Amino acid sequence: MNKNYPIPENELQRLAALKRYNILDTLPDDAFDDATRLVSYICGVPIAHISFIDEDRQWFKSEIGIGVSEVPREISFCNYTILDTKIVEINDTHKNETFKDDPNVTGGFNVRFYAGVPLTTPDGYNIGTLCAVDHVVKELNDNQRNALSIIAKHVIAQLELGTKNKQLYVQRKIAERAVLARDSFLANMSHEIRTPLNAIIGFTDLLAQSELNETQHDYIESVQIAGENLLLIVNDILDLSKIESGSLPIESEPFNLKKTLKHVYNLLKVKAQKDVEFNLFLDAEMPDMVIGDQGRLNQILVNLIGNSLKFTSEGEVTVSVKKVDETDESYSLKFSVKDTGVGIPENKIGTIFERFTQGEESTTRKFGGTGLGLNIVKQLVELQKGEVHVKSKVNRGSEFFFILSYKKTDSAEMAIKTISKNDLGNLKILLCEDNVLNQKLAKSVINNFGFELDIAQNGEEGIELLSKNEYDLVLMDLQMPVKDGYQTTEYIRCEMNSNIPIIAMTAHSLVGEQELCYKVGMNAYVPKPFKQSVLLKAIKTVMKPGGDMQQKRIIDMSFLDEMACGDPEFRKDMIDLFVEKIPNQSEQLAEAFKNVDYQNVKKLAHNMKSSMDIFMLNDLSDCLTVIEEEALKGKFTAETADKMNIYSSGIDEVVKILKEL
Amino acid sequence: MRIILAEDNDILRKSLSFFLESKGFSVDQFSDGKEALEAIEKENYDLILTDINMPGVSGMEITQHVRENLKSDIPVIILTSSGVEQTELDSFDIGANEFIAKPVSPAVLLVRINKLLKTRI
Repeated sequence: MNKNYPIPENELQRLAALKRYNILDTLPDDAFDDATRLVSYICGVPIAHISFIDEDRQWFKSEIGIGVSEVPREISFCNYTILDTKIVEINDTHKNETFKDDPNVTGGFNVRFYAGVPLTTPDGYNIGTLCAVDHVVKELNDNQRNALSIIAKHVIAQLELGTKNKQLYVQRKIAERAVLARDSFLANMSHEIRTPLNAIIGFTDLLAQSELNETQHDYIESVQIAGENLLLIVNDILDLSKIESGSLPIESEPFNLKKTLKHVYNLLKVKAQKDVEFNLFLDAEMPDMVIGDQGRLNQILVNLIGNSLKFTSEGEVTVSVKKVDETDESYSLKFSVKDTGVGIPENKIGTIFERFTQGEESTTRKFGGTGLGLNIVKQLVELQKGEVHVKSKVNRGSEFFFILSYKKTDSAEMAIKTISKNDLGNLKILLCEDNVLNQKLAKSVINNFGFELDIAQNGEEGIELLSKNEYDLVLMDLQMPVKDGYQTTEYIRCEMNSNIPIIAMTAHSLVGEQELCYKVGMNAYVPKPFKQSVLLKAIKTVMKPGGDMQQKRIIDMSFLDEMACGDPEFRKDMIDLFVEKIPNQSEQLAEAFKNVDYQNVKKLAHNMKSSMDIFMLNDLSDCLTVIEEEALKGKFTAETADKMNIYSSGIDEVVKILKEL
Repeated sequence: MRIILAEDNDILRKSLSFFLESKGFSVDQFSDGKEALEAIEKENYDLILTDINMPGVSGMEITQHVRENLKSDIPVIILTSSGVEQTELDSFDIGANEFIAKPVSPAVLLVRINKLLKTRI
C-alpha cells in the first residue's frame, strides 16, 4: 500500500479552512448530488464524486459509483490533486509511474482514468476535490475540462452560501431573542409600574377630596392628570404585550351598539378644543343590539377619536357609523373617524400603524403619547377580522375607517338568559366597595338577579357587618381605603375563621393579581367593569355545593408510611422537611415563573414533583408536570398560569394542613 | 449490601434511604451527581440507584462513566420522571439495568434491587 502520500505545505491552515465549513459528516444535499451527476453526464464516466480531505480520510459529500462514505486518506488519488491549482488528468493509470501499482488501479475501484479538480476556498486552500473516474482509458476535451472547473467553483460557492445562511440564521435568532426580551421586559415593567401607580392615583383622589386651599388644589389636579396619563401609557404597553402573546381574547356577548357609541361620544366631548365641532352620526338603519366585543370597540374608538381631537384645533371631528351590509346572521358596519386636523405627511402614512412611530418625530414632544395607540387599534381591529384604513392630507385632515362584522342577537336567546339567571334562591350578599358609582351599579345588578345586597364602604365596615349578620357571599373590591380587599380577606379567613365564599372584583386584570387573590383565600375573580353574565357565573361557581375550594383536602400518607416502614418518628421528620422546604421552593417557582425563567421553572417543578408524589398530591404533581413541560418547550401559556394558580393555592392549603398535624 | 443513592429531592432521597436501610441495606446518599460519582470511584458499592435528572452530573452520565471508564458491571437503576418515554431506551443504551418511573413504589424498587443483586451473584 502506498502510505507515503504527499502532504500539502499549508496542511494545518488547509485543515482549519475545511473545519470552518462544518461540512464533514453532514447529510446528503441535493445541490451537491446534482453537481456530481453533472460531472458524470458531461464526462461520460460511471464514477464521479465531490469529496473533502481531512487529517486521515477522504469523505464523500456526494458520489456516484463508489458506494462508501469515506476511504482512508492514504489510498486516495486526490492527495495529489489538492497539491495542484488546476485539473489533474491521468488518461491511463497503467502508464503512470505514481499510480500503476496503486491498489485501486490493480484492484479495488479499477481506476483506469482519473480527472480531479481541486476545490479551492476563496482564501486559497484546497479542501477537497471534484472527480471523474472511469474503468477505461479516456481523454477529456477542453469543454469538459472547463465544465469541471466551473462546477468546482459552484461547489465552493454552495459551501460559502451554506456558511452564510448559518450565520444569518444565528443572527436572526439573536435578534428574535432580543425582541422577545424587550417585549417581556416592557410587559413586566408595566406590571411593576401599575401597582404603585394605582396607589398614587387612589390616594391622590382621596387627597383631592380633603380640605385644601386653592394652590394645593391646583397641585393635586396636576398630579391627578399626570397619574392618569401615565396609567394610559402603561396600559397601552400591557395591552400590546397581551395582543402579541395571543392572550387577549375577543369576546362575543350581546351589547347595545348605539349606547356604546353615545357613551364614547359623551366621554370624549370634553376633550374637544374650543373651535372644534364634535359630531356623532349614526345610520338610521343601524341595529341597536349586536353580539361582539364591546370593550374592544370602545378602546378602538376612544383611541381614534382621542387622536383626532388631539390633532384638531379648528374645524370638526366627525364620528359616523353606517350599515354597509346585512345577512341573515350578521351586520357589517363601517366606522369612520374624520377630522380637519394637522393630517399625516404622505411619506408617513405607510408607517403610521407601526409601533413607536408618530406622524412626526417632533410630534412626541408637541402632542405627547407613546406612539402605541394606532398599533393597538390596528391589532384590535384585525383581531376582530377587520382592517383599518387611513386617508390623509397634511393640514387638511385625516380619516380613519374600518369595517367590522357583528353577529345579530337572537332575542329568544336573550330571553332564556334572563330567565335562567337565578336558580340559587335568595342569596344575601355583602359588597365591600368604596366607589359610590360602583355601589349603585352592583346594587341594581344584584337586585336584578333577585339577591339581597348590603354595602360596606371599606374592609373594616365589611368585617363589622359580617360579624353582625349572616351572609352567603362577599363581593370584594381590592382597592379600598382603611382596609383593602386583600387585608380584609386575610382577616376573614385567619381571624374570623370563616370560609364564606369571597369574589374579588377589580378594575385591572393583571396576571399576578389573580394569583394573589387566590393566595389570600378568595374563591373567584371578576374583572371590572364587570359583565352581568360573568358575575353571575362566578356567583354560581362559588355557591355550588362541593366545590373543591370549600372542601378540606385529605392528605394520603400511605405512600410515606410504606417508606417509613411504620416508624412514626421518620414520618414526622419528612412532614417537617416538607413544611420547611416547600413554601420556599414554591415561592422560588412563582418568582421564576414571573420572570419567565424557563430554566429554573423547569428545574424547580421537576424537583418539587418528587415531593408531591411522596404525599400523593397527584393533582399538584400533575400541575407541576404541565408547568415543567411548558418550561421545557420554552413557552408559557394561559394554561401554565392557570396551573400555577391551582398549584399555588393547593400547596398553601396542604402546608397549612400538614402544619396542623 | 451497600447501595449508593443519588437523588436531589431531599424528601424523596431521605425516604428512599430510610426505607432501604429498614430493609437491611447500607445506603450512602448524595444530592449532587458529581459527589456521587467521586464516591463510586472511591468506594465499593453493590448497586447504584440514581435519579436521571441531577445537578452536576446526570444519572445518564454516571451510568456511562461507570460502564465506559470504570469498566464496571455494577447494577444501575435509574429513576425517571413519568412522561419521558425516550428515557427507557436511552438508559438501556448506556448500560443501565433498570429504570423505574417516578413516583417510585418502594415494594417494586425492593423487588428489582433484590433481583439485580441475586442475578449478579
